[in-house]
Amino acid sequence: MAHILDLHLHSEASDDSRAPVEAYLKWLARKRDERPLEGLVLTEHRQFHAAGEYRELEDKYGVLILKASEVETDYGHVLVYGVNDDILKRFDFKNVRLPAQEVITEVARLGGIAMPCHPGRPTIGLIEHYGKRPPLEGVMGVEALNGGSKKGENERVAELIRQYGYHAFGGSDSHLVSFVGLCATEFDRDIKNMDDLVEALRVGGYRPVDFRSPRPQTQAAPEV
Amino acid sequence: MNTLYFDEIEEGDELPALDLFLSKDGVRQFAKTAGMYFPRFTDDEGARAEGLPGMIAPGVMSMGLLARMISDWNPAAVVKRIGTTFRSPVLPDCNVHLRGAVTQKNEEDHTADCDIWMENDDGERWVVGTATVTLPSKA
Repeated sequence: MAHILDLHLHSEASDDSRAPVEAYLKWLARKRDERPLEGLVLTEHRQFHAAGEYRELEDKYGVLILKASEVETDYGHVLVYGVNDDILKRFDFKNVRLPAQEVITEVARLGGIAMPCHPGRPTIGLIEHYGKRPPLEGVMGVEALNGGSKKGENERVAELIRQYGYHAFGGSDSHLVSFVGLCATEFDRDIKNMDDLVEALRVGGYRPVDFRSPRPQTQAAPEV
Repeated sequence: MNTLYFDEIEEGDELPALDLFLSKDGVRQFAKTAGMYFPRFTDDEGARAEGLPGMIAPGVMSMGLLARMISDWNPAAVVKRIGTTFRSPVLPDCNVHLRGAVTQKNEEDHTADCDIWMENDDGERWVVGTATVTLPSKA
């Protein structure tokens, strides 16, 4: 049973992460009071990690583990949930210039959902591309809260959501063990599997949640 | 700073934060000492001519500061491996905050894996990475 899930993080299956999945789960178990997550969605870069088998870890730690992908398009990075054989036949996830409109439309037709992530980020975020080209059709939601964003990036997304009426979700975008679950998504409905997640992301009834601690006041620091 | 033995650390331990003001003179001094006295590391105009927003700290300097955080935490820790991703140029003349946490203890070789990162006052993580350290044993 899962209502709060981190919808965006990377394990050591991604080329820029060294985080083992079990280390994420152990970290969450220690931090349960601060980050009350019930599920993780592994979104490996430019691939669907079909070989990843996490059933035993789910049982051991009592956390739902789902698999998705982060692909690269001509409108920036996009998370693909509900990846299946038809989607993998239709698109080469290694292609770093996938046509975003086709990804959004075709993934939906083939049973999944594609959602732009960190849209406020320069170059690889949706907003910069919306400034130059027509908006995409069929976008249901965007990652409004990304744990790796810089100052101002998440704020820019609020205006995008206001303008286009997108649903908003959150994810840690963790590449390190200790960052897991800092940002997540809370659902009104129970998510038991990927089908539930895809359906929920389509219809709404979810919101980003922020589990980051307030930053301490900056102290005068010794010079180096 | 006291020696911490393998048995005395726990997964989840946070390394004591190292907060520093990264000065331009400090970066120049590092670049000179490291044989990297190039414009991008020494003056804003030279760096801008290379397309950078201003002079930056060398990547190995950031890695060195992260290694210093580890040795400040435990002077007996031997850094076996350190790997970083540079998410943004490190622009001096500001505070930087070095952070870390023990994420995994490896009983077979008495090593520990740590997350390590450098962030600015706004919490933007400029450099993120991991390190594996060997820790002394009491036995």
